[in-house]
Amino acid sequence: MNSTTERGGQPAGAGHLSETDRLREAGWFSRLVHRPEIGAFSGMSVILILLAIAAGDVVYNPLGIKNNLAIVAQLGIIATGACMLMIAGEFDLSIGSMIGFAGMSMAIMLKWGLPFGIGPATPLSAFLITLCLTLAIGWLIGTIVVRTRLSSFIVSLSFLFILRGATEVSFRTFNQGSTQVSGLPDFKETDFFASLLGGETFQWFYDLLFWLGLNFNRAGDQWVTGFDAKVAWWLVISIAAWFVLSRTQVGNWIYATGGNEEAARANGVPTDKVKVSLFMFTAFCATIFAATQVFDTNTADAAKGNLKELEAIAAAVVGGVILSGGFGSIVGVVFGAVIFGLVQNSVFYISWIDGSYYRMFLGTVLLVAAFSNETIRKRITGGI
Amino acid sequence: MADPLIRLENIVKRFGNFTALNGVSMDVHAGEVHALLGDNGAGKSTLIKILAGVHQPTEGTIYLDGQPVSFRNPLVASDAGIGTVYQDLALNSLTSVTRNFFVGREITRGPRPFGILQTAKMNSVTKQEMAKIGINIADPEQAVGTMSGGQRQALAIARAIHFGARVLILDEPTSALGQKQQLEVLKTIKRVQKRGDIAVILITHNEIHAQLVADRYTFLSLGQVIGEGVADNLAGGDIRQLMAGGAQMADLEEELTAIN
Repeated sequence: MNSTTERGGQPAGAGHLSETDRLREAGWFSRLVHRPEIGAFSGMSVILILLAIAAGDVVYNPLGIKNNLAIVAQLGIIATGACMLMIAGEFDLSIGSMIGFAGMSMAIMLKWGLPFGIGPATPLSAFLITLCLTLAIGWLIGTIVVRTRLSSFIVSLSFLFILRGATEVSFRTFNQGSTQVSGLPDFKETDFFASLLGGETFQWFYDLLFWLGLNFNRAGDQWVTGFDAKVAWWLVISIAAWFVLSRTQVGNWIYATGGNEEAARANGVPTDKVKVSLFMFTAFCATIFAATQVFDTNTADAAKGNLKELEAIAAAVVGGVILSGGFGSIVGVVFGAVIFGLVQNSVFYISWIDGSYYRMFLGTVLLVAAFSNETIRKRITGGI
Repeated sequence: MADPLIRLENIVKRFGNFTALNGVSMDVHAGEVHALLGDNGAGKSTLIKILAGVHQPTEGTIYLDGQPVSFRNPLVASDAGIGTVYQDLALNSLTSVTRNFFVGREITRGPRPFGILQTAKMNSVTKQEMAKIGINIADPEQAVGTMSGGQRQALAIARAIHFGARVLILDEPTSALGQKQQLEVLKTIKRVQKRGDIAVILITHNEIHAQLVADRYTFLSLGQVIGEGVADNLAGGDIRQLMAGGAQMADLEEELTAIN
């Protein structure tokens, strides 16, 4: 006993190898390959190179960059929501239907006025009322999940059907049986708020390209004028989510909730509140997705957002998020969204292959990603 | 001998018509390891859950520093300085040592819950607190999954102590560990004992481990205390016999030979 306590007083000396010494082996390289986003980053690099070879100019010319980034940004917005929720250990399959629902809600208000005949809607009021609705639905889904302890897979699957049905019924009721609204006024030209969602952003980038002689049409004028506003929304949402997740207290709570919920609760983490808030966050992301679409195209369609929930989850998985929760990063999801969005969009520019190969390709990527995530998880948890 | 840090007096716990504990009393002193021994079903788990505030006693009183206290829920117990380290340790193996150490009680700057984590400060506190109980962590941002079972136990213990545990309840800390890891945990317990200000309640099935670190024993069987004493007055044979609930080892041997 005496020797035990004596050794305890000293730091582990040379020659006395303890378990802790084994932790020191981790160098910068091991640290790098342990990062959750490394797989997605490698995948993204490969794809960027392959596309340069296979499609070349069509992908990387000014218009190609604009179009590709628009698709990537759309997916990235909802993938960020899906990622945060998955890290906390839950799923939301209602994202796609929520997009359709939010688009319908905004379009109906913009065309037929605010509820109860209050008066005509402005883009801002239509957006805010819709956001209140979708946040309330997100709150409801989350509350059902945490109260009943039912699997979020089932609860959100029910809302996938409920919301899609509600969207179609509402459209038909207002629009003589049609499930679309088109020909809304071009609000982004006249309304500042609408231009924030559906207009253009980072025009300086294309101005710069023009000035450098890389961005002109046949007439010699400037060709592309700016990125879609959704690119800015994607960046803002991603940066905010990254900051919250990696730098704040609630970020630690999100990881703890997904990693070991009982433990988190025992240590005072309000796990139910964390989960409900994240269901509301996915609803928020779906609403932004819908708003950028509605104010960009001035149309809405009950079928909008179909299957998007699965693409969002897939992009999160490709980005290194583990299905059982507790692990993942926003940076990885950014890469995942780039992979998914780019492939989805660019394959159509490659004339010598059937565009639908992209689904087969994405399915394979997803499988490989899920498999490598599992390997990483095992490595981190010591193979248990 | 100074007054006990925590004293249980005639604790009775009934679940419906089942009596889990039938008048259990024990004293636990600061700076001592008090081994709580007993066979499965003896009432050890019920007793620690009462101390941790998970259950409330049907009868009897808990005194902390000589004052009667009642732990309505686990939060009250933990605020009063009862730290429980359960068998599953309440850790998330995918996140870092620091994040696990501070989970729910992060050091932040700014409004809750969006306050910014003071990572550097949390890392250094984690490192220090782990070193105090003899584990040198080279990188507190390493995932808990990379630590050995003994180190994880130490992490859970260091966390409980750092956040104010004066009574540390260890629920079978050496079970589910390899031999070498078990010794690591016993060393950790010894270091906590050496601090002198913490009362440790050690629940274990292993009488050798109890003998190695315990100052005082309480034996439970079928919800009652069937023996207690200080380490010096108990022989190994007594301990083994009391742990088995008072059954004579000799009787057991006879029964076993009868089968052959």
